Amino acid sequence: MSSQNPISIRPGIQEDMKYLIEWLQQPGVLQWFPLADLREIEDAARIWISNIKFNSVLTALWDGEPCGIATLYIQTFKKLAHQSLFAIIVDEKFRGKGVGKHLLTDLEQLAKEQFQIELLHLEVYEGNPAIHLYQRLGFLQYGYQRHFIKQNNQYLGKIMMQKAL
Amino acid sequence: MTLPENFDIRYSTNEDLPVLQKWFADPMEREPFPFETDSETEDVLKNWIGFARFKAGLTGILGEAPCAMGTLLLMPYRKVAHHGSFYLIVAPEHRRKGIGASMVRNLLHLAKTRFSLESISVEIYEPNPILRLLEKNRFELFARQENFVKINGRGRARILMEHFFQ
Repeated sequence: MSSQNPISIRPGIQEDMKYLIEWLQQPGVLQWFPLADLREIEDAARIWISNIKFNSVLTALWDGEPCGIATLYIQTFKKLAHQSLFAIIVDEKFRGKGVGKHLLTDLEQLAKEQFQIELLHLEVYEGNPAIHLYQRLGFLQYGYQRHFIKQNNQYLGKIMMQKAL
Repeated sequence: MTLPENFDIRYSTNEDLPVLQKWFADPMEREPFPFETDSETEDVLKNWIGFARFKAGLTGILGEAPCAMGTLLLMPYRKVAHHGSFYLIVAPEHRRKGIGASMVRNLLHLAKTRFSLESISVEIYEPNPILRLLEKNRFELFARQENFVKINGRGRARILMEHFFQ
């Protein structure tokens, strides 16, 4: 990356929760999450951001302004501690600019070096364009759960992907 | 396999917690589950018995004495509330009597009739003797993840299976 790159990454902080809630409410975003309304969004955002206690949340900045957040869901169970699920969101205004790739590259490094994670995995709903990014970054599908999401009597399957670090 | 004559099933109650704790005091019994340490076990068992308030938990009894316990794990968000999963344990001294099979059938029935669920999924770690019972009850594999869990330092696969009611 050149020194002109406007993207920088810092550890997530509690105040980032408001961005998370704002981005989850942007048009079309909720179709890729299991959340249906503001109450569920706030609940999920609280759980998501609570991972700052493990220092496993990263926030991307575009010229100093938050534009994306990624989180490792650190496993508190001892026998699952070598692997982690993660979640990511990018503000719609900054999509297609490399923010997601930058965040995931740093998250992968954090997982490996800070938490000795051996297996990083994710869940994504079919049709989500982010699948291409995950594939480019080396994630491979290991499972598919049909009918995972039900909305307006329409179903969406869940694709499960992983990468050995 | 014939079920013992005095076997019956009732809804679980908070008072069943000490029995559950007694069964899981043996670390061997924790092996098929994600919890391992005493504090992890304590947290999960409280959560498990917490589903009793929704009448989502079932206790198998022989006479008055609990011999098995299972609970449906219900999903918290509306878009995924049409499916769930479950935990199940049969007391070690009462295994191989058909009690586990009866508990699975009754948990499925409860999921379908009381909660109108459309499917039930389950996560197991390989190897697990419940696999054959799940296959008999039309659970189908939808994911297999190598090295998901480390038991005694050795990586083992998790298997995810789902039973659809329709």
